[in-house]
Amino acid sequence: MMSDWSHEIVLAASILSWFIIGAGLAQTTIYLLQLIIAAYALSKRPPVARSALLWHRYGDVAPPIALLVPAYNEELNVVESVHSMLALEYPNFEVIVINDGSKDQTLQRLIGAFKLVKFHRPYEEALAHKPIRGLYSSPMTERLFVVDKENGGKADAQNAGINVCRAPLFCVIDGDSILEPDALMRAAQPFIDDPERTIAVGGTIRIANGSRIEAGRVREIHLPNRLLPLLQVVEYLRAFLMARLAWSHINTLMLVSGAFGMFRRTEVVAVGGFTMGSMGEDLDLVIKLHRHMRDAGRKYRIQFIPEPVCWTEAPETLSVLARQRTRWQRGALECFFRHRAMLFNPRYGRVGFLGFGHILIVDVLGPVAEVLGYILIPAFWLLGILSTEYLLAFTSLIFTYGVCVSVCSLVLEEAELQRFPRARDLAVLTAVAVIENFGYRQLNNFWRVKGWWQYLRADQSWGEMTRTGLSGAKK
Amino acid sequence: MWYVWDLSILLSAVSLVIMLFLIVRRVLQERRGRVQIDQRRQLHTALIAFTENRDREALKVVVLAVPAGVAINAGFEFISLLRGEEYDDVLAAFNECGLPALVGSQLEKGNGAERIHAAEMLAALRSENAVASLLSALDRDRSREVRIAAAIALCDLGSLPPLDIALGKVGVVGQRSRRLIELFRRFPPARFEELRDHAARTDAVPFIRAAAIDALARAAGFHFADFFARATGDQSPEVAAAALRALGLTGHAEAPAILASAMANGDWDVRAAAADAAGRLGLAGLAAPLSALMDDEAWTVRYAAANALRSFGQPGERLLRDIAASEVSRSQRTASLILAEGPAA
Repeated sequence: MMSDWSHEIVLAASILSWFIIGAGLAQTTIYLLQLIIAAYALSKRPPVARSALLWHRYGDVAPPIALLVPAYNEELNVVESVHSMLALEYPNFEVIVINDGSKDQTLQRLIGAFKLVKFHRPYEEALAHKPIRGLYSSPMTERLFVVDKENGGKADAQNAGINVCRAPLFCVIDGDSILEPDALMRAAQPFIDDPERTIAVGGTIRIANGSRIEAGRVREIHLPNRLLPLLQVVEYLRAFLMARLAWSHINTLMLVSGAFGMFRRTEVVAVGGFTMGSMGEDLDLVIKLHRHMRDAGRKYRIQFIPEPVCWTEAPETLSVLARQRTRWQRGALECFFRHRAMLFNPRYGRVGFLGFGHILIVDVLGPVAEVLGYILIPAFWLLGILSTEYLLAFTSLIFTYGVCVSVCSLVLEEAELQRFPRARDLAVLTAVAVIENFGYRQLNNFWRVKGWWQYLRADQSWGEMTRTGLSGAKK
Repeated sequence: MWYVWDLSILLSAVSLVIMLFLIVRRVLQERRGRVQIDQRRQLHTALIAFTENRDREALKVVVLAVPAGVAINAGFEFISLLRGEEYDDVLAAFNECGLPALVGSQLEKGNGAERIHAAEMLAALRSENAVASLLSALDRDRSREVRIAAAIALCDLGSLPPLDIALGKVGVVGQRSRRLIELFRRFPPARFEELRDHAARTDAVPFIRAAAIDALARAAGFHFADFFARATGDQSPEVAAAALRALGLTGHAEAPAILASAMANGDWDVRAAAADAAGRLGLAGLAAPLSALMDDEAWTVRYAAANALRSFGQPGERLLRDIAASEVSRSQRTASLILAEGPAA
């Protein structure tokens, strides 16, 4: 009887181990494929033209853009951010700051800094959102409008901004972020070259911690001084340079970051705008756009281009980072299950197979399998259920392939873009790309499993994002 | 399972070695970069001195002493700041140093971005062989963006082939680039008829026809008003809307009738363009159809109609107030919103 039990336990352990290793293998294969596609896409992409040339080339035909800036308790950065946005190099744009019922002095700071006065502006109530308390304009600049509304969350604020804006294109950006001066011009380029098919464009988000920032501009790029944001630099590099570039190349890009993305207003209105109360409103919007365009049988492009850069502040403490990551995980799960009908649905082509397949393996199954593996694989090996061969296979999937993928992302960045100014930065980042696989990766997966748990418990709390302010970066 | 482990070790080691190589390469690039900055500075100083003393020989010595790439890029940036005699003198010096030939070879052999830039530089440098190089790029380059850049450069040099031939070489199938609008806007007045003929061709791509009409309206004005009036009845809504926008800029004796009819068009873009044109031309006689458009299902049309009424001055505002005071409806809401626009009381 006992030997029967042990046989079944060994069988169950083997099946579980195969599942864990299989999920790891699938994830690693996806990463390696992404690397290859991203390398191909970068090699085919012409080198970047200088900003002055872009202006010379596209200045006369650049379409109007509305920059939507939802701000909730952003009193620390908002004035400096708006100043830097108003100084962007683009011929025709307006900045619409949406004060989403902030509890701090966000609105008062804006009123004081830009001498705002109440203003009436007719707009189309195409999307639903919480009531607007007032619109403000500035006698100092005709480019700035502030929408003061009741609190409804980021998606709600963005929808209000979409209603109020009049430009055919809008760009969403976080209130605490800083755009490179030529970012709008670069992001608008696909809308100029291929205006009919391009419906959304995402740019690169980079971490500003440690860089020298003056008057809302990143003047000198430096790596963060602290380990946690440094680890995130490599992580962002992997996410933006490798993953998004690869998916964009095969028109399966599932995420245009809410921190910086440009969209065609008509299509966004057609899909009902951002989903209110969503944890992953940016992911959700892009999935809805894919769905809408494929249902309508229209040709379209959702593109990622690495050149337009938006700088953001990365969390510097474990608690804030943990909240951010659990929220991202809940967002991914929520979108996956909300649109699950698209998974492997031939009607949605590569979006259903590759895009959703990627979310399934990397975001839905990946963290659970990996965390299970941390506990079970060594335990099975110690109990003698699993051979050393399996233990090493799991170890390689977690650690050594991780090192390879992270370092290769850095290789791509250096070979094609060279955005880190010093050779010393590269050496530091190479070291970080190695060590992030020993501790940080595991921590991240733990937060993601926590996000899973919160999702199952239907926990919808957003969590406070404590900011130190980008102006507090190195001066 | 061993192969999973072995392969991972191999891949990680290879990636680290490549990274190490790139770090070393970067160290060398940093050194070279510093030298290039010095060379650019040297060239800029020589160019500034040249604008003062016109010592062409001294400038040529410096231009020839720096690498061709540095001379081309720094030189092009500098001449874009110059005008008139100074511009011509610097250009002559560059030509004597053989820079246009180097740009020409960049147009043939560079990557996509370099070829586009080379086309722009050739137009600015106006060398003897520029036209031949650009025609060759228009003819043969595999990138449509480069071909458009070559066409724009040829247009600037006054050597663009006949429009139909040039568009054929650029490629019109699936063409939606707004850079074409840029090309049309640079057309010399002597060739406007060509643009008109292309815009009139019903077999041509509507986007290109609309772009041609937009360019003509901005550059040629009333001269083509009759053509715009005819084009407002085009079957393509894109072309009809462009023609209505053009008519709004130039005006036409038949404009009231044309616009009134366009306001009943099935395409909202056409209706909005008609309302907008009525406002621009101040055709107060169209107040009635514009009031009707304020109940249109498309917000853009309602907004254009209300704006047009407001642009009529007192009579239009009175009408808007009447609508705003009427029963709650889409028109009433639009009117009250438009009347409220501006600083709050």
